[in-house]
Amino acid sequence: MLRLIFIVAILWLGVARVPAIEPERSVVQIYIFMQKPDWTAPWRYDPVQSASGSGFVIKGKRIMTNAHVVSWSRQIIVRKYQDPRPYLAKVEFIGHDCDLAVLKVEDESFFDAVPALDLGELPEVRSTVITYGYPAGGREISYTRGVVSRIEMNIYSHIGNRRLLSVQTDAAINPGNSGGPVIQDERVVGVAFQGIQGLENTGFFIPPPIVNRFLKDIEDGTYDRVPMAGINLVTLQNPAYRAKLRLPNDNSGARVDVIRPQSPASEVLRFDDVVLRVDQYPVANDGTILYQGNRVSSAVAFQLHQNGDLLPVEIWRAGQAQTVNLKVEAPQDDQTQGNQFDVRPRYYIFGGLVFTPLSLDYLRDADRSGARSGLNDLNYELFYHARENPDTALKEPVVLSNILNDPVNATFLTRDATLVNRINGIVIEQLADVVRAFESSTQTYDVIELGKHGTFETLNHTNAAQASAQILKTYGVPQDRNL
Amino acid sequence: MKFVLSLALLLLLPALGPAAESRRGWEKSVVRIEVSRNAYDYYQPWIRRSETVDKTGVVVGKNEILTTAEKLSDHTLIRVQAGGRGAWANATVVWVDYYANLAVLTTAAADFWSGLKPVTIQTKPSFKKDGLQILRWREGKLESRQAEFTQFAVRKGQLSDINQVFLEASSEIQGAGAGEPVVSGSRLVGLVIEQSGRNCKIIPGAFLRMIVTARASAQASRLGYFHFYWQPAENTASLANLNLPGAPRGVLVIEVTPRLDGLPNVLQPRDIILQIDKFDIDMQGDYLDPDFGLLMLENLATRNCWAGDDVTMKIWRAGQIHEVVYRLPRYDFTNSLVPAGVFDQPADYLITGGLVFQPLTVPYLQRWGNERARNALFRLNYYREDEATKDRPSLVILSQVLPDRFNIGYQEYRGLVVAKINGQTVNNLSSVQQALQNPEGEFHIIDFAPNETVQRLVIAAGDSERAATARILENFGISSAAQITPAN
Repeated sequence: MLRLIFIVAILWLGVARVPAIEPERSVVQIYIFMQKPDWTAPWRYDPVQSASGSGFVIKGKRIMTNAHVVSWSRQIIVRKYQDPRPYLAKVEFIGHDCDLAVLKVEDESFFDAVPALDLGELPEVRSTVITYGYPAGGREISYTRGVVSRIEMNIYSHIGNRRLLSVQTDAAINPGNSGGPVIQDERVVGVAFQGIQGLENTGFFIPPPIVNRFLKDIEDGTYDRVPMAGINLVTLQNPAYRAKLRLPNDNSGARVDVIRPQSPASEVLRFDDVVLRVDQYPVANDGTILYQGNRVSSAVAFQLHQNGDLLPVEIWRAGQAQTVNLKVEAPQDDQTQGNQFDVRPRYYIFGGLVFTPLSLDYLRDADRSGARSGLNDLNYELFYHARENPDTALKEPVVLSNILNDPVNATFLTRDATLVNRINGIVIEQLADVVRAFESSTQTYDVIELGKHGTFETLNHTNAAQASAQILKTYGVPQDRNL
Repeated sequence: MKFVLSLALLLLLPALGPAAESRRGWEKSVVRIEVSRNAYDYYQPWIRRSETVDKTGVVVGKNEILTTAEKLSDHTLIRVQAGGRGAWANATVVWVDYYANLAVLTTAAADFWSGLKPVTIQTKPSFKKDGLQILRWREGKLESRQAEFTQFAVRKGQLSDINQVFLEASSEIQGAGAGEPVVSGSRLVGLVIEQSGRNCKIIPGAFLRMIVTARASAQASRLGYFHFYWQPAENTASLANLNLPGAPRGVLVIEVTPRLDGLPNVLQPRDIILQIDKFDIDMQGDYLDPDFGLLMLENLATRNCWAGDDVTMKIWRAGQIHEVVYRLPRYDFTNSLVPAGVFDQPADYLITGGLVFQPLTVPYLQRWGNERARNALFRLNYYREDEATKDRPSLVILSQVLPDRFNIGYQEYRGLVVAKINGQTVNNLSSVQQALQNPEGEFHIIDFAPNETVQRLVIAAGDSERAATARILENFGISSAAQITPAN
């Protein structure tokens, strides 16, 4: 079972010796007031909540922090070291997949006498680092000394469906420290971002290669996200499989087991190709590379590039080695399988029936709100259907999220959390199809087919259309759609 | 002092129950049953663990004891005891129906039957609602606990997914569900199959009588079911859209999948079922049963009828009333892609080169516990939603890999549905065995259904495979490389 990862920041004030340059002058406290949407009632937001995190000043009069510190923010306030004045800030760039963000402060005098911290290199395992931040909402800065325990890929829990390079330290990581710098030799060697619930003295920070990639990504004014290879590599350690592929029985090469359809990889790679080298990194038979002295997943070699880069990949195919150029791209089709941020949930309401695209966020909120039916079917649809049967997979599965009760829909049996198959005979492949199906209807009744076994519900179209405005008013819904 | 007196009275009360039941002679009909059985560990299917289970039965005919079928499977010894004490007699299963969850036992020990008398099964629910008693032997005494009738309701069975009528009653008895008789006066009202909190789920007398009578007449009967999906017609706009005149009534057929017996389907999606066997179906999907009151229509597939019987349905289709004859299909555990029950057979498996193949069954999933089945094994568990088809009657999984140098690199793979071996589609262990007879050159190529772990494994075929299998069996203390129960 996946261990629950929680997002935190560093707490304990150790007896660490403070470096001469006093990096704490560059470490800021970030207060945010945030509001998250309710994905099952997608026009509605939860009450405003406040939270705090940490950040640090980088070149260009900017503040670097974690994406999760400033997500869903309505207002961001930053405070300097031992300075009570609040400054308003805004998100300039945010990378939810790598959990990093850059802020600008409205009043640039904020940066007066505040030196920018320089980024260092990936720290070595067993070396000592010091984390800076404002854990647990405290007003005073906190320092925590720790040792770099391990460098490897980890799930970035903010987005939930990305594994990127991270560094584990034995320094405690606690809420409020997120976004704070991890310092070694007067340079930033990481951004503190998460811990693991249940594991003591274990914290994680985002290392310089990921931070630098992010900063380079946004240089053109757009964040393009972390690219991926579009393949799944598996170990190739069994002598029989190696012999079958006529591959020498040594320690090199990992096998291409899955190629993401429509990805650039699908144009140059094949199932059972063996990846021998990515860029300058030889790939071992367990799918790892040696990266700056650390054995990590070969995925790292792809993820440190920019979206659209071409990488030379040496492969073994049909008994001989060859090199192909692989274009790496950030996937566009799996965003709903991870946590989404800073976007208003999309929906459409007709006759009190609330339709919204299926997503992880929706499933989580539906489960929390005790949806009565269909969550297993939706779970399968979101995570398994496209993989198992890509030919029948829907572009954007749509669910009947809930029903705003009214006489026109009072006799509906289906009340929530059910996949929509067809409306008036139109196959619902995306939310726009729902709109089209209702708005093009010329029949007395709208017929909605739902769920695994084709449950169907019928709505008197004229009555529903006439009641729609009043339903929205009754339930305080500002608009019938956000498409 | 008052408190002490009350306590004394309370302590006295339970004794009144057994005395009352004794006057009615129930101690001459209720039998204690002890079942020793093999319980298979579906995680290590080559392992058998013995367990002993206490059950209760009731004498229903000459030298016959009626009890529930649960926990009788894979028995190694059954003993029965009359009067709740004294000598045990070895018993045998005369007849068992796991679908109906009922069994009849007997014993050749003539002394056992001395003084025992069969009970009368009450088929009509004309008992006092608060006059039910649940009986069982406890420490040599007949324990009698009052039960209060709650309702008759159609529910899925304990061992199968067949919907049938059950009696539900509330009682303070604890740990019931092992065939305890429920009685009213001098008549048997039902057998308890499950207890959840105070609620007892009871096979009612009418169902007991139907099964016992059918068995006595040597009728080769199996329970049937309705092989289609329907929904209540509470959405009256749906009825109006289908132009059904008159008051809202009937249920809507929503999905009709191909029958496994090859017979054509007489129902279609959008049919409205108005009557079954002359019983009007209301818009909730209930009919008025003359014995039990309002019940869900599913009960009409088991109410005095069997698989293979014809049931007449009046339906509304395309603006007209039609009468169709629906032949009840036979319910079988293998109707589901993941069989719910595996009885009286060892846990099947096949090991080659340390790769352990097993059929995907509900007992396998249950081995992991409900929480894990819901989460970590979500995909495997979700196959339970699928029906078996001719193309895909069942599934085989690579359940685990027993580590050995032969299978190095594969040790952590588990829970993967096998699609093909050496290019041949596999859906049971026999087909795995057959496919392994035809390696692709020097290798076996094992392809899995799409999953997030790995899509293909290759292992060496031939002498090294056989040597590895022998070595692994020895190392892990497994006596046989395969246990494959022939298909019926």
